[in-house]
Amino acid sequence: MTNFAANDAAGMPAANAARAEARTKISVRDLNFFYNGYHALRGIHMDIPEKEVTAIIGPSGCGKSTLLRIFNRIYAIYPKLEATGSVMLDGENVLDPSYSLNRLRSKVGMVFQKPVPFPMTIFENVAYGIRHHEKLSRADMEIRVEQALRGAALWDEVKDKLKQSALGLSGGQQQRLCIARGIALRPEVLLLDEPTSALDPIATGRIEQLVEELKHEYTIVIVTHNMQQAARVSDRTAFMYLGELIEFDDTEKIFTKPGKKQTEDYITGRFG
Amino acid sequence: MSASVYARRRAINVVALFLSGCATVLGLVFLAWILWTTLKNGVGAITPRLFTKITAYADQGGLSNAIAGSLIMDVIALLICTPVGVLAGTFLAEYAHRSKLGAAVRFLNDILLSAPSIVLGLFVYVIVVVPMSNLTHGSISFSGIAGAVALALIGLPVIVRTTDEMLQLVPGTLREAALSLGIPQWKMTVQVLMRSAASGIVTGVLLALARLAGETAPLLFTAFGNNFMTLHPLDKMESLPVAIYQYTNDPNPALHAIAWAGALLITLFVLALSLLTRLLFSRKKVHHD
Repeated sequence: MTNFAANDAAGMPAANAARAEARTKISVRDLNFFYNGYHALRGIHMDIPEKEVTAIIGPSGCGKSTLLRIFNRIYAIYPKLEATGSVMLDGENVLDPSYSLNRLRSKVGMVFQKPVPFPMTIFENVAYGIRHHEKLSRADMEIRVEQALRGAALWDEVKDKLKQSALGLSGGQQQRLCIARGIALRPEVLLLDEPTSALDPIATGRIEQLVEELKHEYTIVIVTHNMQQAARVSDRTAFMYLGELIEFDDTEKIFTKPGKKQTEDYITGRFG
Repeated sequence: MSASVYARRRAINVVALFLSGCATVLGLVFLAWILWTTLKNGVGAITPRLFTKITAYADQGGLSNAIAGSLIMDVIALLICTPVGVLAGTFLAEYAHRSKLGAAVRFLNDILLSAPSIVLGLFVYVIVVVPMSNLTHGSISFSGIAGAVALALIGLPVIVRTTDEMLQLVPGTLREAALSLGIPQWKMTVQVLMRSAASGIVTGVLLALARLAGETAPLLFTAFGNNFMTLHPLDKMESLPVAIYQYTNDPNPALHAIAWAGALLITLFVLALSLLTRLLFSRKKVHHD
């Protein structure tokens, strides 16, 4: 977070001005979500900047994972869930049924709370998704898999056992494999749903470091229970409570001088 | 006061443990008894003749035609019920998981699972044996194929149920992970979920085989029986369970001995299948942890 020091020197308004230049990647407008009739998200409005890390924090059940799961429409695999409003990705509404799921999910990758490697070899785990979207020669595929594994900071640990089952890897390695699987499709956005909650501190540190590196190429949205993690890795932080977006601003501002009392109460540990 | 409560709980624990222990022993005693009786009576009659001679020689013969018939009908039955059962189970678990249709199909499948096997035999007699006889003016009536269809109806619900249950055991997160890569549902089901549930599904198929290998009633009106060797599925066909049934009804004690040998063969076959399924399943668990 070296840019925080610079921001401090320049003062908040300058930082905001700099931020304002960041192009909006995902623009959420009047988003409502109904969970079997229950109104789970209420009128969400937010602009997620390109190639930055946006963290979503809030107490359990506030709707942060629900929001994330709307961005790639993964919620739609379950019945009786409904989203209204719009989520514009590069100007196109991904909630529009005519927006192809195939296209959406090749642009928006997702990593889940628990590492879920496929019951295949390490190589196949990464190659599987690529193969569905592109026809590559064997040599090109090997290059792509290596790039993805390097991108997820896993290559050095697995390069000699690519043919082994991915289920034999440690939890942290499995999670980085899932990140490799996601970035192998060369998405534009990466959604991380509490990616470190099942990992030990060392593996968590690795993933956080990786997020720092990945943001140069991808727009990252991370849902986390851990406020310190949000402060460490994100440029912007959204605080949600009871299905509403309470505050969305520069991470530094949210954690130092939040604009709303509820945000302050939450980050200072008065509830949550 | 608390001491008396603890003493009471401890006493109840001892009584419950004793009763459940007795129940276990009771069940196992009968199983061991059955296995021991089969082994004791069957081993003596296991001779080379059993595998080389046909039932037409009666007490001078063997069971080679019954063994061949059983193997042929079991294999054909599996070829029929495995694809249908796996596909139906997949439909239930992946496409009709929480729907009313799924619940109805699952209920009907459970009825088929517990249907009396003689009823299935009569059903196949009416829908396969009689029409075939009418079509061929009586030259083909009872047949190995008809027997296999009846056996397939026994195996089908077992495979449907295990496939359904094994796929439901696959964690939902694996589905989400595959779908979030843009993989379509059918591809995810075949390439990710089925692979994950493979050993469970194979176990279901082996269990179905174990179940149908011992069935007699469905074969009586379908394959009928045949004292001569045939490998042609359109002929009347002998099978081990039917041979055992006929020999035990005969007053000749030499035939009883052959029946015991046949019973031992089936028991060993089913035992081997159970061990194989155990092996497959335990390997799966080690693999996943």
